[in-house]
Amino acid sequence: MRVLIVEDEVRLADNLATALRDGPGFAVDWAADGEAGDDFARNPCYDLIVLDLMLPKLDGLSLLKRLRARRDATPVLILTAKDGAGSIIELLNAGADDYLAKPFDLGELIARAKALIRRGKGAAHPTLNVLGLEVNTLEQTVRRQGIFVDLSPTEYRILEYLIHRPRVIVSKRELLEHLYDYNWEHHSNVIEVHVSNLRKKLDAALPEPDPIPASIIETMRGRGYRLAPALPPDSEPVPLPTQTPEPGK
Amino acid sequence: MKFRLQPRSIAFRLIVAVLAVELLSAILVVVLSFGYERHIHFRVFDVMLHGRADSILGAVQDAEDPGDNLMLDQADLHIPSDDIYAVYDQSGHVLGRSPNWQGAGPGAPTHPFGDYSQLDANGHHYRVLRIEGSRTVDPGEHGGKLRQVTILYGSPTGRVWHAIRGAVEFYAAGSLFLLLVTGPLIAWLLHRGLLPLRQLAALASQVSVDAWQFSPPVSARTTPELAPLTHALESALQRLERSFLQQRAFVSDAAHELKTAVAVVKSSLQLLNMKSRSVQEYKAGLERCLADSHRLEALVADMLALARAESSAPRPGPHRSADLAACLRQTVALLETFAALRNVQVHVSNRTANQTEVPVSIPPEECTLLLSNLLLNAIQHSPPASTVEIDLSIDSDQGAPTAVLAIQDHGDGIPGEALPHVFDRFYRGDPSRTRNTGGTGLGLAIAKAIAQKAAGSIDLTSQPDPAEPNQGTTVTVRLPIASSSNAEN
Repeated sequence: MRVLIVEDEVRLADNLATALRDGPGFAVDWAADGEAGDDFARNPCYDLIVLDLMLPKLDGLSLLKRLRARRDATPVLILTAKDGAGSIIELLNAGADDYLAKPFDLGELIARAKALIRRGKGAAHPTLNVLGLEVNTLEQTVRRQGIFVDLSPTEYRILEYLIHRPRVIVSKRELLEHLYDYNWEHHSNVIEVHVSNLRKKLDAALPEPDPIPASIIETMRGRGYRLAPALPPDSEPVPLPTQTPEPGK
Repeated sequence: MKFRLQPRSIAFRLIVAVLAVELLSAILVVVLSFGYERHIHFRVFDVMLHGRADSILGAVQDAEDPGDNLMLDQADLHIPSDDIYAVYDQSGHVLGRSPNWQGAGPGAPTHPFGDYSQLDANGHHYRVLRIEGSRTVDPGEHGGKLRQVTILYGSPTGRVWHAIRGAVEFYAAGSLFLLLVTGPLIAWLLHRGLLPLRQLAALASQVSVDAWQFSPPVSARTTPELAPLTHALESALQRLERSFLQQRAFVSDAAHELKTAVAVVKSSLQLLNMKSRSVQEYKAGLERCLADSHRLEALVADMLALARAESSAPRPGPHRSADLAACLRQTVALLETFAALRNVQVHVSNRTANQTEVPVSIPPEECTLLLSNLLLNAIQHSPPASTVEIDLSIDSDQGAPTAVLAIQDHGDGIPGEALPHVFDRFYRGDPSRTRNTGGTGLGLAIAKAIAQKAAGSIDLTSQPDPAEPNQGTTVTVRLPIASSSNAEN
């Protein structure tokens, strides 16, 4: 998951970024003013935007309105130093998804960030259950048919991203964009290595050797990956709950 | 219409005043009418007395007796029955009198001629006229004899007084009636007349910190007595609103800055506490937290300095002044290390170094604060290996001598759109950079407040020119030189 922080206070942005990287393992980008934040946000790679209200050049509310005006549905968490129901109502009506008043609790901010990302992807519960896979996003643990699978942080992040979009082909580029921030050198073969390891670990967790060679993570040559069920050739595809992204605003 | 009158209200006082004047004039009318009526009625009464006394004189006749005496022939007299009269001859004998009177007594004939007197008889007050007359007895024989007669004639005054009382009573009743009718009428008229004032008061009372809207009624604007008040209220409210909004914006900005600073400290501590770390990591984290709290401290200190500099309340103790030249030397010495750290040279012009004493009416600590804020600003905006130039001169051209301090840096300058805002509180020309250098955005606002409190001014000129970079920014402070030379420092 990748988060954009728009905050003009360097030290606060620094702390937020560190907390989001260290805690839930998000990739984090930082914009120091409203205009820069707007430029960053035009890239659709963000799963959440943490937005300060009082910003130089372009204030947070205007940035939020711009965002929603171009039908960008990215969840937005507002950081505000203002009190009073009036401003909060205005914020929520302008398309904010949540807000935190300064000075906030870092743990609460992380929890809200996770919840917003989850909701943005159509999941209500922090534990996701798809195709016999159980991903607990709080503990960051994975079980396959009840058996614990030990994953590295990067492998976990790839699986977490994929499990939010089962049966959808996710390109390598998209994975890269959502898992790494701008500070990271992009090497697409790194993803290949991680996906390969992830697949091996997940398959090895099955109690008995898979009779069908097809893995739970399919590689679509030239297009990307998808989390798919290992189906018998003649059976009907398991209907999945439709997960439409929330409409903007 | 329903209205109440408070004992101290203008309407009440006006009504009482008008009614008192009315009452006084009613009393005067009664007194004057009494005098006038009395005068008129008694003149008529006296004329009537004369007439009747003359007719008595006409009834005095020759008695046809040997002593040539006179007699009163009462048969042809027609006089009102309650009048009294008596006729005496020159020797004091009564020739005749009215049946209802025993006479004036022994002294009566000696009354001077034509005199009026008061007399009580038969239970009435009488006004009595005395006239002397003469009769010639037997004019045929030796020219006749002249006999003197004295006539006293009185008529009761009760009727006259009754008529006077009637007239006075009429005037008194009329005045009282007018008083009773005009009292409520005046109250009503006053109530109506004071309507613009009440409308103005009602509108003014609706003004509150949340609703500054004050549109005085046309009636209040067009009333000559209320127009100045309305105008004063309007402009006072406008000024109040402006300063209130400024204050509110400042409080809101200050809250934002403080909360953000606290959020930094809090998040730094929580971040440190998120997982167990090595001693080195804890140490580094604690040092960051300490730096964060130093920034919070600086912010609070700057906000307090600004509040002090902007307060117009006079400082306790004697009026203090500082020597600008000495303060400048001190500040330059203080910031030399900081400038050296950034590889910036501070150059003080020769005439500045030669200034011995430049007293300005600022307390020394505020003078140092003003200078260090400006100098720090200049050093921070200077590129490495450049010079900050300081020049202090005295301008005596326009009346009172003024100290002119110019601090010039050779930085990038300030873009035109930012120039009007540089003295605003919490304004940062380049937010990310200023934040990094630890500025609170209050330095220039504090400098301006200090300069203005000393009746001085502060100006900033900058011409960022891409073709000719590093022209820099010049801050010019003009401070009137204090007359007293009791400079400290």
